[in-house]
Amino acid sequence: MITKPRKVMNLPNEVLMPFMIERLESKPGMTATLPLRGRSMRPFLEDGRDKALFIAAKGAEIRVGDPVLALLSDTRYVMHRIVRIDGENVTLMGDGNLTYEYCTLQDIKAKAIGFFRKGRETLDSVEGRKWRLYSWLWTRLLPIRRYLLFLWHPHIPARWKKEEEK
Amino acid sequence: MKTRKGFHLRKICGENIMVAEGIENIDFSQIISMNDSAAYLWKKVEDDHEFTVEDITNFLLEEYDTDEATARRDAERTVEDWKEAGLIVE
Repeated sequence: MITKPRKVMNLPNEVLMPFMIERLESKPGMTATLPLRGRSMRPFLEDGRDKALFIAAKGAEIRVGDPVLALLSDTRYVMHRIVRIDGENVTLMGDGNLTYEYCTLQDIKAKAIGFFRKGRETLDSVEGRKWRLYSWLWTRLLPIRRYLLFLWHPHIPARWKKEEEK
Repeated sequence: MKTRKGFHLRKICGENIMVAEGIENIDFSQIISMNDSAAYLWKKVEDDHEFTVEDITNFLLEEYDTDEATARRDAERTVEDWKEAGLIVE
């Protein structure tokens, strides 16, 4: 029995990421387009809506402020922003998060060089004005990030909502 | 008709997975999976290969114990499915 080709939406990260990294490292200059999941890079990047364009971290310059794909010690892959590099040790934090994550330079597997947002075909490059301005502003707003994130996406407990809104 | 370039089938975690891969970019926004018999056929014609429904019918007859009419019907349906999934160019 031959079945229809099926579109796969939910290939697990532990399968998809090693494959993507292998392809990126297979050839210099290779890029990968990856749909983003999760809310940890809000407000710029939205779950299920936006895509990132990656290059291999090997051979690329990795700097503070770069959004990178890292393999954390609990075998989780995340794409978060580098907030500090101290020798081999790297500190990361998602733009939409309030907690730090730690890894080494070795664990940085890919670097995002831009994003396709809101279904657009044109890339918002990380070298571009928009991303640089956003990054400059958002990282400086860290002390009040908790409140800004809440204003953007209020987490209103269901029990507070009116019956018909549920 | 021809299969589209760059759709290479790979076995990942027991699944036959296809991702659009060009010279410079691999695009994970469209991942396609196929079962084993569809994968067998795709392997025969993948990457810019010219083929006909007859070819597919013959591949089926070579590999599976089936009669020609059934194989032909399966081949036609498979080609339709591939067209629908955007895997074939005319």
